Amino acid sequence: MTERVTPPSLKHIRNFSIIAHIDHGKSTLADRIIQLCEGLSVRELKEQVLDTMDIERERGITIKAQSVTLDYHADDGNTYQLNFIDTPGHVDFSYEVSRSLYACEGALLVVDAGQGVEAQSVANCYTAIEQGLEVLPVLNKMDLPQADPDKVSQEIEEIIGLDATDACQVSAKSGMGMEALLERLVRDIPPPKGDPEAPLQALIIDSWFDNYLGVVSLVRLFDGTLKKGEKIRLKSTGRDWEAGAIGIFTPKRKETGVLRAGEVGFIVAGIKDIMGAPVGDTIVHTKTADKVERLPGFLKVKPQVYAGMFPISSDDFEDFRDALQKLALNDASLDYEPENSDALGFGFRVGFLGTLHMEIIQERLEREYGLDLLTTAPTVIYEVRMDNGDVLPVSNPSKLPDMANVDELREPICRATILVPQEYVGNVITECVSRRGVQLDMQFLGSQIQLIYELPMAEVVMDFFDRLKSISKGYASLDYSFDRFEAAKLVRLDVLINGDRVDALASIIHRDHAHGRGRLLVEKMKDLIPRQMFDVAIQAAVGGQVVARSTVKALRKNVTAKCYGGDVSRKKKLLEKQKAGKKRMKQVGRVEIPQDAFLAVLKLND
Amino acid sequence: MSAEMLPPLSLYIHVPWCVRKCPYCDFNSHGVGRDAGLPEEEYITALLMDLDQDLQLLEDQPERELHSVFIGGGTPSLLSGKAYQRLFDGIRERMTLSADCEITLEANPGTLEQGRFAAYRAAGINRLSLGVQTFQPEQLSVLGRIHSAEEAERAVASAQAAGFNNFNIDLMHGLPGQTLETALDDIRRALALGPSHLSWYQLTLEPNTEFYSRPPVLPEDDLLWDIQDHGHAELEAAGFQRYEISAYALESRRSRHNLNYWQFGDYLGIGAGAHGKLTLLEADGNGELVALPRLQRRWKSRQPDAYLRRMQDPRGFLAGQQDIARDDLALEFMMNALRLTDGVSLATLQRTTGLGPEVLEPTLGQARERGLIREDASRLCATPQGLLFLNDLLAMFDA
Repeated sequence: MTERVTPPSLKHIRNFSIIAHIDHGKSTLADRIIQLCEGLSVRELKEQVLDTMDIERERGITIKAQSVTLDYHADDGNTYQLNFIDTPGHVDFSYEVSRSLYACEGALLVVDAGQGVEAQSVANCYTAIEQGLEVLPVLNKMDLPQADPDKVSQEIEEIIGLDATDACQVSAKSGMGMEALLERLVRDIPPPKGDPEAPLQALIIDSWFDNYLGVVSLVRLFDGTLKKGEKIRLKSTGRDWEAGAIGIFTPKRKETGVLRAGEVGFIVAGIKDIMGAPVGDTIVHTKTADKVERLPGFLKVKPQVYAGMFPISSDDFEDFRDALQKLALNDASLDYEPENSDALGFGFRVGFLGTLHMEIIQERLEREYGLDLLTTAPTVIYEVRMDNGDVLPVSNPSKLPDMANVDELREPICRATILVPQEYVGNVITECVSRRGVQLDMQFLGSQIQLIYELPMAEVVMDFFDRLKSISKGYASLDYSFDRFEAAKLVRLDVLINGDRVDALASIIHRDHAHGRGRLLVEKMKDLIPRQMFDVAIQAAVGGQVVARSTVKALRKNVTAKCYGGDVSRKKKLLEKQKAGKKRMKQVGRVEIPQDAFLAVLKLND
Repeated sequence: MSAEMLPPLSLYIHVPWCVRKCPYCDFNSHGVGRDAGLPEEEYITALLMDLDQDLQLLEDQPERELHSVFIGGGTPSLLSGKAYQRLFDGIRERMTLSADCEITLEANPGTLEQGRFAAYRAAGINRLSLGVQTFQPEQLSVLGRIHSAEEAERAVASAQAAGFNNFNIDLMHGLPGQTLETALDDIRRALALGPSHLSWYQLTLEPNTEFYSRPPVLPEDDLLWDIQDHGHAELEAAGFQRYEISAYALESRRSRHNLNYWQFGDYLGIGAGAHGKLTLLEADGNGELVALPRLQRRWKSRQPDAYLRRMQDPRGFLAGQQDIARDDLALEFMMNALRLTDGVSLATLQRTTGLGPEVLEPTLGQARERGLIREDASRLCATPQGLLFLNDLLAMFDA
């Protein structure tokens, strides 16, 4: 890449994000932009360079915000500094999107020209417009035969209200239209405002923990200039630090020693305490600290679902706590407090944005921190109004107070927007009805239908999104947000294993579903609990009354038929395999219960 | 441990060729067809060189008699009596065989020409193990066996005619399509042939076999249980006592060779892919052989051709060797010893591993509590429940 000799003036900086649905080609588009600006040589350009976490690459999704600074030589003869802040596309991570948008003046709304607009993009696009960003519609995958730019442009106008008549038409895969897109970007997206000579005011967009460097923060400078070695202060803690490394991502981390107003880059200040640089905090110079206001920062997002997480080995509890602290540093939504389960011992009750978020956190804890964890079925937060008028939140079914003193139970209701092609709308309505949904609105928009439903949050966060996808051949899209708590006839469904209630298996469900779900649950668990040396009785009960039962028949033997001297290593391997299988199990009483069985309640619709 | 207290020593000889590889077999065997000219002479020469190389390890030990010899495969009966004559002449030049040395050869009933048994007997082989597996034609064909039920019966008759009255029959159960009736019929037909020993083992789908990649449908659990139950009763009624998970024998006809494995004895292993286990003595600072034994596993080059080429190789036949780590010792001992229905004495544990019973606590205590190990102060022995769930019991000893 070309070295920047003089710093760009503000008018030659463009800060932007891309809003796109998971598979509408955002990563490919980002890669193509990086390649066009020669941010990476062709040799270095791995597919999807921005998704740096293994999990992101494997799942093809972006979870965390990332940034990359690129130089673009435009047709007007100027070199522009493009700061691209990547954002996640999944509904669970919408809060990350609003954070990234905060650092930008513009956004590209990328829509698959064959598939049309998708609900999550609509929601993110509204956020961008509310935050005053210039949104450029981009029709991607124009090289595919099913591309229908006129129809999709019309959809963008009808659904989002954005003029799409001269939307950029590109194919990130083939490179078609990409230069024109970059030209449009520098023409239409406004440069940042700010004064490099004013006192420093910078916002922490994201922070993460690096084992070698300590805390690394991604920052956007609104005013001032930050140089290596300067004394800085974090507004929230009032603590002073020395700015160590300062630079940009190209997308490799590159030290430049200076960042100016309008720019986006990283700062490492030798902060080792993982709570030392919270996301949303304001960084100022120590010497001008009193003259600069703290930026509003970000709203704390509230977890939507809670689950118990327990280390398989109780020795790992402290490591687990440490790992959660580190992850929470750049995941403001992660909420946790210690939990003690009769069945599973000491662990944490952890709050997540959704079940995908939960899966990803579990995977990161296991891969990056080497923990073996058992996660209980996630639950939404309920409200309990007691006789005396007190209202308590309940995020753990086993902690539901004695019903004798409960006046009413309330469940969270969300408002869900679903976009789906006409031919699948019947399936979607049936699914919503079976989940106790109430239709608020239905509109024909372009070739899609927009359904608005009120649904119990519990019915949405579990497997609703997956179900929607499977009943619409992948076309339906979903966005939802919490609306209110509402009284409902709820009961706690207990599970008893060999007569003992297992607290970690309890769930809260609607009374009308208790028998049906109870039956499905014990059958599912019967399939998931391996046969043991004795019969295992599984019962589902509501308020002491058993509503369903099943039995895992005892295994009759477990012995290797043949073992002669010779090569014992093979027999040893067999035992090791058996042992590895048990690693994922938790002993509850005498019964070994695998992780899957704790999540059985999620799989009842399979 | 003093040198006099070394465990019994056996010799295992591997013959790696078969007419055809069976779909369930995970041993080191290589199908060569029926009329392959095997390099018989060359292989015997290699085996004796291999033995010489192993014996160098035992040079500092007082001479140890061979307590048993077992020729396994593959299909050892593919080699001629003449070849074995030369092999045993060579072995006797190098080692002393005990007066009651058990010498077993595995034979496939589909490979026996007239007169071969007599020649085996003349070479010193005094026990046979016949791989019959089943007498049902459909199941013989599913198992890929190259012999018929009648051939198996004829093979036994000719073995007996040659003077072999001490012989084992290998039978399998839990076969695809097997019923209780056919399973019991197999046992009865085997017993009618007058064996002294029966290895009656359940078909297991082992990795790296044809059955593992294309699993056949096996009998349901309840049927397997019935087969096991009734088959066991049938064998015991005929005077065959179960002394190991899958081994039944008449009084005093237990396999000395296999018992030595299960009692964690020593064995040399020669031939392609053969494994051996030896107790080596360490000299202390004063040059005295000391009590702490070193247990070593060693294994030979696996592919028949590669094995033969090792004759000219300065590395010799050895493909690898490893001392058994102290942490693995208890598990490796138990993997063998607890297969025996009578278990083993604590003295055997001490003698073969140098471990005292105290190192096995508290695992033994937990196993007793779960009803898997017998309450016995002098023996280590699984309960009937422990034998059924031996893998669970062994997992407890896995460090």
